[in-house]
Amino acid sequence: MPKAGAPVPDATTLRGPRRQACLSLRAQPTASLRGAVATALGVELPVAPCTHRRAGERALHWLGPDEWLATAPAGTEDALQAALRAALTGHFAVTDVSGAWRSFNLAGPRAIEVLRKSSPCDFHPRAFAPGRCVQTVFAKATALIACNADGDFDVITRTSYADYLRHWLEVATLEHPASP
Amino acid sequence: MSAGGASLPTSSHPAHTPARPAHSPARRLPAGGRIDRSQPLRFTFDGRSMSGFGGDTLASALLANGVDTVAQSFKHGRRRGIVGSGAEEPNAIVDLADGAHRIPNQRATQVELHAGLVATSGARRPLKRFAGAFAGVMPAGFYYKFFMGPPWLWRRWEALLRRAAGLGAVPAGADPDTYDKLNHHCDVLVVGGGPAGIAAALAAARVDARVVLVDEQNEFGGSLLGAPQAIGDTPATQWIDAAIEELSARPNVALLPRATAFGYYDHNFVTALERRTDHLGATSPSAPRQRLHRIRAKQVALATGAVERPATFANNDLPGVMLASAVATYLNRYAVAPGTRLLLFTSNDNAYRTALDWRRAGRCVVAVSDTRPGPEGALVAQAVAAGIEIHRAHAVIEAIGRKRVAGALIAPLSEDGRRLAAKPRRLDCDLIACSDGWSPAIHLSSQAGARPRWNEEGMMFLPGAPRQPTLCAGAVNGAMSLAACLADGAAAGARAAHAAGFGDARPRFAPPPVEEAEEGAARPLFIAPHVQPSSRAPKQFVDFQLDVTAADIELAAREGYRSVEHAKRYTALGFGTDQGKLGNVNGVAILARALGQGIAETGVTVFRPAYTPVTFGAIAGRDTGELFDAERHTPMHAWHAAHGAAWENVGRWKRPWHYPQADETMHDAVVRECRSARQSVAMLDASTLGKIDVQGADAAAFLDRIYAGSFQRLGVGRCRYGLMLREDGTIFDDGVAARLADTRFLLHTTTGNAEAALAWLELWRQTEWPDLDVYFTSVTDHWATAALAGPKARDVLRRVCDDIDLSREAFPFMSVRSGHVAGRPARVFRISFSGELCFEVNVAAHDGMDVWNALMAAGEPFGITPYGTETMHVLRAEKGFIIVGQDTDGSMTPEDMGLGWAVRHGKPFGFIGDRSLALADHRRADRLHFVGLATTDAAAVLPEGAQIVAASTRRAAKPTTPRAMQGHVTSSYFSPALERSIALAMLKRGRERLGEIVCCPLADGREVSAQVVNPIFFDAEGRRTRA
Amino acid sequence: MLEIHCPYCGESRSEEEFSYAGEAHIRRPSDPAGLDDRAWGDYLHFRSNPRGAHRELWFHAAGCRRYLNVLRDTASYQISQTYRVGESPEDV
Repeated sequence: MPKAGAPVPDATTLRGPRRQACLSLRAQPTASLRGAVATALGVELPVAPCTHRRAGERALHWLGPDEWLATAPAGTEDALQAALRAALTGHFAVTDVSGAWRSFNLAGPRAIEVLRKSSPCDFHPRAFAPGRCVQTVFAKATALIACNADGDFDVITRTSYADYLRHWLEVATLEHPASP
Repeated sequence: MSAGGASLPTSSHPAHTPARPAHSPARRLPAGGRIDRSQPLRFTFDGRSMSGFGGDTLASALLANGVDTVAQSFKHGRRRGIVGSGAEEPNAIVDLADGAHRIPNQRATQVELHAGLVATSGARRPLKRFAGAFAGVMPAGFYYKFFMGPPWLWRRWEALLRRAAGLGAVPAGADPDTYDKLNHHCDVLVVGGGPAGIAAALAAARVDARVVLVDEQNEFGGSLLGAPQAIGDTPATQWIDAAIEELSARPNVALLPRATAFGYYDHNFVTALERRTDHLGATSPSAPRQRLHRIRAKQVALATGAVERPATFANNDLPGVMLASAVATYLNRYAVAPGTRLLLFTSNDNAYRTALDWRRAGRCVVAVSDTRPGPEGALVAQAVAAGIEIHRAHAVIEAIGRKRVAGALIAPLSEDGRRLAAKPRRLDCDLIACSDGWSPAIHLSSQAGARPRWNEEGMMFLPGAPRQPTLCAGAVNGAMSLAACLADGAAAGARAAHAAGFGDARPRFAPPPVEEAEEGAARPLFIAPHVQPSSRAPKQFVDFQLDVTAADIELAAREGYRSVEHAKRYTALGFGTDQGKLGNVNGVAILARALGQGIAETGVTVFRPAYTPVTFGAIAGRDTGELFDAERHTPMHAWHAAHGAAWENVGRWKRPWHYPQADETMHDAVVRECRSARQSVAMLDASTLGKIDVQGADAAAFLDRIYAGSFQRLGVGRCRYGLMLREDGTIFDDGVAARLADTRFLLHTTTGNAEAALAWLELWRQTEWPDLDVYFTSVTDHWATAALAGPKARDVLRRVCDDIDLSREAFPFMSVRSGHVAGRPARVFRISFSGELCFEVNVAAHDGMDVWNALMAAGEPFGITPYGTETMHVLRAEKGFIIVGQDTDGSMTPEDMGLGWAVRHGKPFGFIGDRSLALADHRRADRLHFVGLATTDAAAVLPEGAQIVAASTRRAAKPTTPRAMQGHVTSSYFSPALERSIALAMLKRGRERLGEIVCCPLADGREVSAQVVNPIFFDAEGRRTRA
Repeated sequence: MLEIHCPYCGESRSEEEFSYAGEAHIRRPSDPAGLDDRAWGDYLHFRSNPRGAHRELWFHAAGCRRYLNVLRDTASYQISQTYRVGESPEDV
């Protein structure tokens, strides 16, 4: 694949893989949990399936009915974990998984097409508006995909797949825009 | 090119073709068609240079160039010409391009012409040689009959058939083109871009449903592109242009021309193959040549049209016998007249259009042979008015000619159409256009599970009751007039959209008025009678591609094949790449007649994907070459690569296998790495090991149920080896679990089982024990793990770790400590898979590379050596440690493996698999046991998988075969520490047989004898590990 | 290619996100030691394997990592219901 070529006006911008602070949170989404999480992280706990909430550089992604992934700038993981553990009560699990995840970002009018080449999910704006996120099959790996307020997408993957997916995404973003 | 430039040949053998100049003016009409005459294109067919125009297909250009013969038939070696104009074409199957770019198996009727196109006709050359041999000896049921014969005979036939039968040649070299896939979700998928499909798309799009419109041609319009019809006051093509313009402007519509919907699968999942650059004749690496569209639709509207049915008569495969609709399409769309003197053989009104168009183009219509005694539709009247001679209640019973049609025998029909009422007579003609009715293209509907139903009125199979959310519209539904197609399409589009939640099911789209010719009833024959019975008459072909004749089908019926599915397989009817698009219905009708039953009760075979052949490239998509599989890399991957690691694939992980230096062999490298670990210190990247963080008040109770051993009383900071069993008592996974806190554990799983083990834990938590307070989180990717092994491991670690007391007393074997290594937060386990003093240093993935480098630097004075998976295997085998999945195969219990010590019966809840260990079969005395083997010849390394039999006794000079298998070798290496070959094996009653000599017969005939020994070869007391 | 509605995600996803986990509603006996070999073997090995409506357990492996129940017709492959673990199918 040629790395350089004529500039494409509506090319897709690919960034990453980037490291973030990542915490896994597992608990039942009770009212007290929601309050404690909001206090500790400053982000609302998304309880609606397949959604994420963002406040500044911090975000919380729904992964399952009792599982969330918190992301924040790299290096803040210890402080966030301490805050979370101090705020939570009862049965919960908080795990530092900052090493386990890497983030890509896709932006541009044809970013959706790159996602559609890679995943069987429906990324049409009618089905996947800002605030939505899904865990799904991505190429031959899996990924957590989130649609941000600006319409760009975070593609969050397991660290061990990051080299493979970087290569995949480079290839998938290469193509000149053509048909639907 | 001038119209009067050539005088038309009038002899009865007008078409001994090669003499005709390329691009014959006689074939290409001077005006008209949808071709671009300003764009002449040169191309090559079978080495001959020819020319055509932009807008041509390869087939229309071949016809324009006077090419009559495009193939020789599979079985009989007969000349074959172009019959159709679309996906149904059985004969004009060509290979495109050459070398690695070669694309076999393309229908010339669907190949868009481009400059420099190189085409080769299919299987002609090899067949010439064998045709004679095949013709007489390949009756119906050939494969059935010869598979029964002696095997050696079949092998001879197979060799011949493989050379002869292939449609096209395999490309020479790896495919240089790129392909990809694109997923779609839509409310309404419309398949087919003819009038019905466009109307359906408009109706659905105007109520804001998400619509995908797929069509296999290069432009939308379907049958209208080949027929001069009007919609409202304008030519139909103008109406199409306006409709497509509206659709393409809508953001809720995706148009996919040049895309063939070839598969209709469960839950409204449809696949379509889009040809993106094939028509350009050039490829660009960033532009995929073809794209596979995977479309999930809430509703599917099938507007796939209909394929004309050819007539079955003697010699109906002669070049110059074509479908009436194809003749009209070549004439109107491509301005090509594939002959001069036309004889139309029809059983319906519709085909009269071809005769009328032919006459309008200034060509001679010899006559119309109509099966019906009193055809009286409007088109018939027009033909009469135009002075065309019509032979009523007549059939063409035989085509005459050598290289091409030179005439035809026609004869009057009896009242029931099954016999001849009088002697045949000859008409001179060079083109026979035939139509025995229409077969709706029900393939996709049938693929979706709808059983086709026979419609007696229309004499056609229609789509059956849908088993998925499918609607059919237009000709596929039996609507044969343009007005009916438009109305049907609009209604289907609106209904589909409504079912998907849009609009009110009434089309917001008034089908424009269309003037229709009233048509009379049709009378298909399915097979024209001949003077002779089918078995004696010249061959009457039903399936052109596989050379199946009417006589073959009648033979199958006589031989007892009553089911249409069986008769299909026996005769190979419809088995070609064209899937019998032309011949199937005629074949069913002939079978029904031979069985003395109706077509409805005979039924039709089930159609399966793919509708037309699909390239492997498109199926593979981007998953080729370096992207063939998802490779997983550890955080130290780049270091391994830079240090010359040879790789081993473990699941999806790339793991260093060994690190060969200079000209070392693998054996050399492994011996060096093993010695380093046993004598000083060596380091392994163990990051791939599965790791699961378990938290919750009931964590210990849960693990007690999952592991065969006991974890309740495991102290904080301590580790224990655990076995997970399946419920049937066999070993599922093993690994070391560590208690990090009272309510927190870290489990290690085998590399390949990490995901399955996590799913296993979740299964029990979610379905059986939701009351237990426990959560799991995969931390496999979070941790980078360096296993520092060897007598000097403590000395190395001490140099980069000052906040953990590494002494034997403070940090004993099977414990875990937290601290810092090389300044990074670390968790260090004193566990060992090598049998040496070992520290497994875990740091966050992003610290992995730095810490690895620091450990290498710290180890330098001790000659630290990186080691790979092969050395890991040798070291663990010397210690008799099992690898689940290598030494176990899914049938082994802990007791079999000598791991009874890791099982604790009598725990309060028991554990998964506990009850099964008490089953009689698991307690059999003669089960396989895990043992070591020491070969008699210390240098002979047994192959893994070698079978074990009793050693030959002196009495039997020659061992008898077969000898009872007593077990097999599961692991085998050369041990540098012992300087001899060692093996691990499963052996019947093995633990009772220590000291016995057994024998392994090898594939090459050698026999290797070995002594049964304890599987722990090295440091059986474990002093080194605990050092 | 099936499309399966995940009752936890609240939306339909493609089959490739899921893995099949056997027949649903097979309860583990509460006292395995109290069962004779035949009764234990029934639990271990014997499944209904019907032609028609089949209650299945699936795992949303690439999605929310939840097990779910699927009522699927083994002849037509149509899925009439999906529901959470611990729930019962509406009308079977």
